[in-house]
Amino acid sequence: MINVKNEVLIRVYTVLLGVVFLAAVIFFAAFKINVTDGEQWRKKGDELYMKYRDVEAQRGNILAEDGSLLATSLPFFEIRMDLVTSTDEDFEANVDSLAYCIATYVDDRFTVGGWWNELNSKRADGQRYLLIRKNVDFELMQRIKKFPLFNLGRHRGGLIVEQHAERKRPYGLLAHRTIGYVRETAKPVGLEGYFDKQLAGTQGKQLMQRVKNIYIPVNDLSEIQPKNGSDLQTTIDINLQDVTQDALFKAVNHHNAAGGTAIVMEVKTGAIRAIANLGRTEDGKIWERYNHAIGSLIEPGSTFKLATMMSLLEDQVIELGDSIDLEGGKMMFYKEEMKDAFYHNMRSTSIRNAFEMSSNVGIAKLAQTFYGPKNRAKRFYSRLQDMNLDIPTGIEIQGELHPRIKNPENKNNNWSGVTIPWMSIGYEVLLTPLQILNFYNSVANDGQMMKPYVVASLQSNGSIVQEFKPKVVKKAIASPHTIKAAQSLLEGVVERGTAKALQSERFRFAGKTGTAQVDYAKENVQTTYNASFVGYFPAEAPKYSCIVVVIEPKDNGIYGGEVAGPVFKEIAEKCYSLKMELHPSLNEAPPIALENYELPTKEVGAREDFISIYNHLDLPYYNNPDTEWTYSQAMNDSISLLTRVITEKNEIPNVKGMGLRDALYILENKGLDVIVIGNGKVSAQSINPGTRAKGQTIKLKLS
Amino acid sequence: MEIGNKIFTGLRGDKVVWAIVIILAVVSILVVYSSTGRIAYEQRGGNTEFYLIKQTMLVGFGLFLTWVCYSWNYINYSKLAPIMVVIAIPLLVYTLAFGLEINDARRWIGMPGLPITFQTSEFAKLALIIFIARTISAKQEYIADFKSAFLPIIFPVLVICLLIAPADLSSALLLFATSILMMFMGRVNAKYIILLFFLGIVAFAGLIIAGEFIPEIRVETWITRFRDFMTSADGGYQVTQSKIAIAQGELTGLGPGNSIQRNYLPAPYSDFVYAIIIEEYGLLLGGLGILGLYVLLFFRCVRMVTKSAKTFGAMVALGISLNIVLQALANMAVSVNLVPVTGLTLPMISMGGTSILFSSIAFGIILSVSRFIEKA
Repeated sequence: MINVKNEVLIRVYTVLLGVVFLAAVIFFAAFKINVTDGEQWRKKGDELYMKYRDVEAQRGNILAEDGSLLATSLPFFEIRMDLVTSTDEDFEANVDSLAYCIATYVDDRFTVGGWWNELNSKRADGQRYLLIRKNVDFELMQRIKKFPLFNLGRHRGGLIVEQHAERKRPYGLLAHRTIGYVRETAKPVGLEGYFDKQLAGTQGKQLMQRVKNIYIPVNDLSEIQPKNGSDLQTTIDINLQDVTQDALFKAVNHHNAAGGTAIVMEVKTGAIRAIANLGRTEDGKIWERYNHAIGSLIEPGSTFKLATMMSLLEDQVIELGDSIDLEGGKMMFYKEEMKDAFYHNMRSTSIRNAFEMSSNVGIAKLAQTFYGPKNRAKRFYSRLQDMNLDIPTGIEIQGELHPRIKNPENKNNNWSGVTIPWMSIGYEVLLTPLQILNFYNSVANDGQMMKPYVVASLQSNGSIVQEFKPKVVKKAIASPHTIKAAQSLLEGVVERGTAKALQSERFRFAGKTGTAQVDYAKENVQTTYNASFVGYFPAEAPKYSCIVVVIEPKDNGIYGGEVAGPVFKEIAEKCYSLKMELHPSLNEAPPIALENYELPTKEVGAREDFISIYNHLDLPYYNNPDTEWTYSQAMNDSISLLTRVITEKNEIPNVKGMGLRDALYILENKGLDVIVIGNGKVSAQSINPGTRAKGQTIKLKLS
Repeated sequence: MEIGNKIFTGLRGDKVVWAIVIILAVVSILVVYSSTGRIAYEQRGGNTEFYLIKQTMLVGFGLFLTWVCYSWNYINYSKLAPIMVVIAIPLLVYTLAFGLEINDARRWIGMPGLPITFQTSEFAKLALIIFIARTISAKQEYIADFKSAFLPIIFPVLVICLLIAPADLSSALLLFATSILMMFMGRVNAKYIILLFFLGIVAFAGLIIAGEFIPEIRVETWITRFRDFMTSADGGYQVTQSKIAIAQGELTGLGPGNSIQRNYLPAPYSDFVYAIIIEEYGLLLGGLGILGLYVLLFFRCVRMVTKSAKTFGAMVALGISLNIVLQALANMAVSVNLVPVTGLTLPMISMGGTSILFSSIAFGIILSVSRFIEKA
């Protein structure tokens, strides 16, 4: 038996040895793959199934001065469907209701039956990427995810959702063109174009791994985080922009013009507060199509006469009081006849008057006299250069054009004998409206030229990354004497000259009209004009400068004074109302002697409101009651505030004599529905005070 | 806890083997959960817990079967062996003729009225090993004799292996090898065993020729797999993926559930599970550790032989553990690209109902033997 056991053991150990040997071979093989050749296999694994995907950064917002959103990126979704992935069972059980849901809630291109056919036939074709709808917002996308079949998940249902971002402009047309856009198919435009790099941010990278046919992120976070674009805080004042756009729109419409532009600029800083551009679409509708303000070169016409005058003054060859012969409003320069815009038979007058009435002959004659001789022409040119009229403003909106001022020493630009007279009245030169405005703004700013700017800062998550401060381009474009004279000329235009009709009772402003003929060189073309007005307000302490150009007005007048001037006035007046700081303080004036009948009396309203008004107006009052609502009673030279009992609990209150705002506040807080007729103060109410309040509808008569 | 303690202190038998079973069971649940992510999406709409729950329940039931088999005196298996063989042969014939075809191979039969499929070869395998152990121990007196000892053992071996071979050649070869080695260890004359080796080759050749006429014999698959293995330098797609997995694990692994290659490897939960184990647990813990567990199992059974009073018990334990360790080695050899793809599972780890349940039973029998050997 011992023998037997030994024999068995020897044989068993042999087998054990064999097993251990096999195990060693296997371990060695694994070791070779894992360690010896490990590097090579790991590299192969990475190459085969990993790739980097770009992760889009969120584009920055464009904000108005007060933080209102002018442009922002909203996510939207593209809904597609993999029709192959679902099983026959799932598909057949759900296709009816899915077709119904799509046709009803998502896309009515097809009827329910149409969608049913579409889904079935595309499934038969093996379509894995059927477009259901392109533009779906977040809310609808969430709903679509719950549709039958889709609610089974990506792999069983086949719903494919792709996220994109869409640029939205909450204010629509407002400053549309200035905000601009960046599109794949078109040249970038506006602020979006100019600041594309900063707005776009930087793309991130994410390591994606292939799992069957789709790539999924390896980690939840991107390897390289996308850096979101900066927000752009502009200098645009939403209210002013609205006013400007509205006024320009009315004028373009009223005068049946081809378009127009209006810019409002802050005199001291050069900040653009409003910039409106109108044109017409193919079917004649008015629309923000092109940024004329910076992208259209126009012959300025009479507004350029200021540059001529300043040049002459700077060269000290004239004084405003000197007299000049206007030749009856007609004059020949070589073979070309120049005429004044209005018929007059005036001969001798002052240079000041010649400018204020915008006499072409007067200004051209002066220019020809002093700059006509061949060797003097370059003197004029260098004066214009001194005033920076030959270079762009450098505003940070994509697409500003270079001005064209003829250089007498450059043979290539058709310098002729009549260039000086015509140039002096704003022809044969080309400037953008913004460049003209910038020149006038410098005059308003006592000769200091600022760089117009529309972007105040770049921000990231609300904190400022880069700030753009007002920048002085030139300390003085002319001597103080010349600037003073220019300012008085522009004030004169409004007081006595071509803009006299535009005078406002509320404040003084200064400016210059312009009416430039378009296509004057072409024969047999009906003459059209660009009507413009450029100036600043208030005249004595300029706060804003503004240019209005109406392009080719056809009806109801053509002249700058009657077409563009009123737009300027409307903008200025509304701006004046909006801006408290433009108003002279009341308490700077001597206190008004108060009379009983001048004091507000028998007014009903909130005590706090009254007190803050009286305090502001410095009116004496006695504040007797400690109640929310009061009744004012004028007595001798002061006002008493008396208690006004409005209501008991659960009763209809007495709102007679109140303003609508207060009345609505009280009544709606009681749970009543209010219908209002007329305007003014509440004179009658349909339910008597003291009735039980139980959500009735009450009518208020205002008068 | 209290019950757990009670069970553990109450358990007898080889504690090392118990530990091996439990470690393998836990690894099985972890690895199967990790590697079934993709088929969970493909077949279960993303319900990844489905396979976790299924495997956990299977393994739990398996451990219960281990305990049941362990509780039973192993002498009973000896008595049952002839009947099991008698049942196994018609079952295999039935499977070949009417079985369910899954993945092109007819290895399963359905249970009437139940949504369960059952791999008959696993049952036959166990039956045969117990039968051989019984016969060898019963005929020890004249074990060298051809007619009275060799023939009665070899006859059922050939029948069963030939019946398994058409649909599952790998399992048949493995069982044949186990049988030969059992006979070798059981002191059967060496020259008969060499004869048997040649007989095996003749039978295999006959099978290939028969394959020309009977489509159920998967000759084509064998040829393709073998040719793939021999011709492609880096082993083709599957092997490339498997090697990447093994390399990615480096020495310490990517960590449980972090396998990347599970998404690319075909059947990462069975055929290539060893590669996934190395990828997640590293070459040392996963690669060497799991390999070591199987070798250790066989070693523990060898140790029983030195103690065993009765030859049947030792033979059963040796045979069963040898079959397990050989199958494990065969499975791992595929992952490390030493042999062509076989379709053999990693015992007690790979996903697959019958495989887990019969592995559990096998462990239970080993433990039963160890329990009585301890007593002796």
